[in-house]
Amino acid sequence: MSITYLEAIREAQAHALRDDPRVFIYGQDVGAFGGAFKATKNLAKEFPGRVLDSPISEDAMIGLAVGAAIEGLRPIIEMQFADFSTPGFNQIVNQAATLFWRTKVPCPITVRLPVGGTPGSGPFHSQCLESVYAHYPGLVVLTPATVEDAYSMLLEAVAIDDPVIFCEHKFLYYHLKAEKLPSEALPVGKARIAREGRDMTIVAHGAMVQDALAAAAELSPEGWEVEVVDLRSVKPLDTDTVMASVARTGRLLCVGESWPWGGVTAEVIARVTSEGYGLLDAPPQRLNARDTPVPYHPNLWTAHRPTTRSIAAAARNLLRI
Amino acid sequence: MPQIPIIMPQLGESIAEAKVVNFLVKPGDTVEADQDLIEVETNKATMAVTSPCHGRLEKLTVQLSESYAVGAVLGQIETTQEEAVRLGLDVPGPVKTSDTDRLGKPDANGGKNRVQPTVRGLPVPANAAGASYLSPRLKARMHELGLSAADLAGIPGSGAAGRVTIEDFEKFIAHLEKQRMSQASTMRVTVADAMRRSWTRPIAHVGLPVCLDPLFAYRKIARPKPGPALCALRALAVALAENSAPAGRLVGSKIVHPSSIDIAFAVEAEDGVFVPVIRDADKRLLKDLIAPYDELVDLARSRKLPPDATGGSIATVTNFGTFGLEWATPIPLPEQALVLGMGAARHKPHWDGVKGQFVPIMEANLTLSFDHRVLDGGAAGRLLQRVSDLMAHPEKL
Repeated sequence: MSITYLEAIREAQAHALRDDPRVFIYGQDVGAFGGAFKATKNLAKEFPGRVLDSPISEDAMIGLAVGAAIEGLRPIIEMQFADFSTPGFNQIVNQAATLFWRTKVPCPITVRLPVGGTPGSGPFHSQCLESVYAHYPGLVVLTPATVEDAYSMLLEAVAIDDPVIFCEHKFLYYHLKAEKLPSEALPVGKARIAREGRDMTIVAHGAMVQDALAAAAELSPEGWEVEVVDLRSVKPLDTDTVMASVARTGRLLCVGESWPWGGVTAEVIARVTSEGYGLLDAPPQRLNARDTPVPYHPNLWTAHRPTTRSIAAAARNLLRI
Repeated sequence: MPQIPIIMPQLGESIAEAKVVNFLVKPGDTVEADQDLIEVETNKATMAVTSPCHGRLEKLTVQLSESYAVGAVLGQIETTQEEAVRLGLDVPGPVKTSDTDRLGKPDANGGKNRVQPTVRGLPVPANAAGASYLSPRLKARMHELGLSAADLAGIPGSGAAGRVTIEDFEKFIAHLEKQRMSQASTMRVTVADAMRRSWTRPIAHVGLPVCLDPLFAYRKIARPKPGPALCALRALAVALAENSAPAGRLVGSKIVHPSSIDIAFAVEAEDGVFVPVIRDADKRLLKDLIAPYDELVDLARSRKLPPDATGGSIATVTNFGTFGLEWATPIPLPEQALVLGMGAARHKPHWDGVKGQFVPIMEANLTLSFDHRVLDGGAAGRLLQRVSDLMAHPEKL
C-alpha cells in the first residue's frame, strides 16, 4: 500500500472530522466536487454538513472562520492556491492573528494553503507565502516536506489553539509517496535532520527539502557529506537544531523556493550569524528564487527557482571556501 | 544522452488530472521544442501537451483513454546534453519515497577529496580566502585555547587560497594532543608574545670585535670594578647622548626621539629574562653606576624588582658572553629599535702593524641588532664603532 502527500492530507482531515465534532472544512468546491486538488474527496459524503462550499471570497472565508472560532468551533479553511489567500490577508493578520492578544479568546483556525510552483503554473498559482505570514506575531506557519509530516502536522495544526497557516506543497501532492501513515511524530516547532552530514548544513523547507536531499546525493560520490535540515515549521523556527547542525559542520547554505527579500532563508541566516557567529567557518549563503514574479513558461520556471543542480553548485562553491 | 521527461502540466486552475485522447507523434519521431505531442481532455476542454525540448521521442508511457494526474510522466524525449543545458532543464526524474529513514552513510574509505588550494575563477566571497583569513569559528576556537595567529604558522591550510579551515585546525590540535605537553610559565608566554610582536619589524644585525685589554687593565686598579657589560652600557649611553636618532621610534613617518637616555640590561632568570633599567645613564659616570647595577642584578635574580625598575628604556644591553657564546643575534624589545650584545672575551691574535706580528689580545664581539626601519647598516656600524672607541678609554666613561 502506498499513500501520497495529498491522500495523507485527506486522511488527516477525515481523522480530525471523526475525532472532534467542532471541526469543519470550508472552502471553494470542497463539498461535492471534493476540492480543486481532490483533498476533500468523499469527505462531504462521509461527514454530512461538516464539509461546506464557500463563495469565491477569501476575505469572507477567513472572516467566517474567525467568527466560527469565537463561537467555539475549529474550522479548516481550504484556500485553492496560496496566491489567492491575499484577498483574505487582512482577516488573517489583523483579525485571526491578533484575536487572542486583544480579547483572550483563542482563534483555533487552520488555513490550508497550497503553496509552491509546478511547471506552467505561473505567477498567481506558484507563490510560497510562508515568510509573509511568519512575519506576523500570533500565527503558526507549518511547511511539511514529507507524507508523514503532511498527515501528523495537519492533525496537530487542528489541535493547536492558535491560527495555523498550513503550507502544503502542490508539487509534492502526487509526487511524494510513503508506505504508511505515521503513528508518532516530532512536535510542531521541532526541525528534523533529514540527512546526517559532516561538511556542510543545508537548511530547507517544503519541496526544497527533496531537492536538497537530491543535491546531497549528488555530492556524496565527490567525497562531501552534506547534512540536510528540514525545518518542518517555519514559525516557530527550531533555531536550536539548526545551530547544533552548524556547530557540527561549520558551513551553512539556506535554500528557499520563495524570493530572497525577507525570506525564511534570510531569517535563518540572521539567527545563525547573530547567535552563532563563532560556529561559522565560512560566510553563510542562501539560494532563493530570482527576485521576479514566477514565470509561466516551464523552461523559465526551471531557471527561476532553485533546483537540485543549482543547489549542488551552490554547495560546491561554499565547500571550496 | 539525457532523457527529458514529458510531464502532465497544470492545464488550468483546479485541474487535477486529464485523459489521454490522442497521440500526435510516435516513438522514434524527431520533435521540436513546444511541439504538440499528446492531446488530453479535461472536464473543461481538450488541450495539447507540448514537448519540453528538441529531440527524439524515446517512448510514451501512457495509454489512450486513461487519466493521469498533473505532474505525471507521460513519456521521455532523448536530447543532447547541450540542448538540456541550454534550456536549463534539470535532468533526473521524479522524487521517490519520503526519506525519513534515510541517513547519510559515512564515506566508505574514510577519506575525502579535499579542496584544491587554488581557486581561480570561483566566486569566493571577498576576503574569505588566503593564509591570513581566520574564520569566525577559527577565531573562537583560538580564543578558547589561548592561541594567536603566530601559533598557526605551522599549519598547512587546505581551504581557499591556502586558508586554514577549522578542519585543518582541529586535526592539528588532535595531533598535538597525542604528544607530551607541559605548562609554559607566564613569563615564557609573555616573552613569547613580546618576541612575536618585535619580529613583525625588519630586524638586521651587525657586529664588531672590540679589544677589551684597556678595560681589563682599568679593572686591575679600579675600586669598585665595573663589568664589561656595564662598561658597554655606559659607552652606549654616551654614544646615544651624542646622537639619539638610532634609538628613536619610527611611528608612521615621524621619528620620536627619546627624552632621556635610560638603558636596560638583560638579567637571566629561570625560564625568562628581566630587563631592569639604568636611568639617565649618560648623566652618571661609570664608577657611580656600579652599585645601582649590582643592586638591580640581585633584585632581578631574586625576582624582587620594583615596578619602576623596569620599563621606559630606549635600548637594551645583553651580555650573552656569560653563556660562553661568542656570537648571537638577539631580538630587540618590541618598543625599542636597538639591542647591543656582548660576547665572551677570548684570547685572539691581533695584527700589530708596528711590531709586524700577531700579538695576543682579549677580544669580544659587540653585536647590534636593530630595527631596519629606523636605521641602516651605516648608522648601525657607526654606532658600534663609537661604542668600541669609547670602551677603549674606560677611565673616561
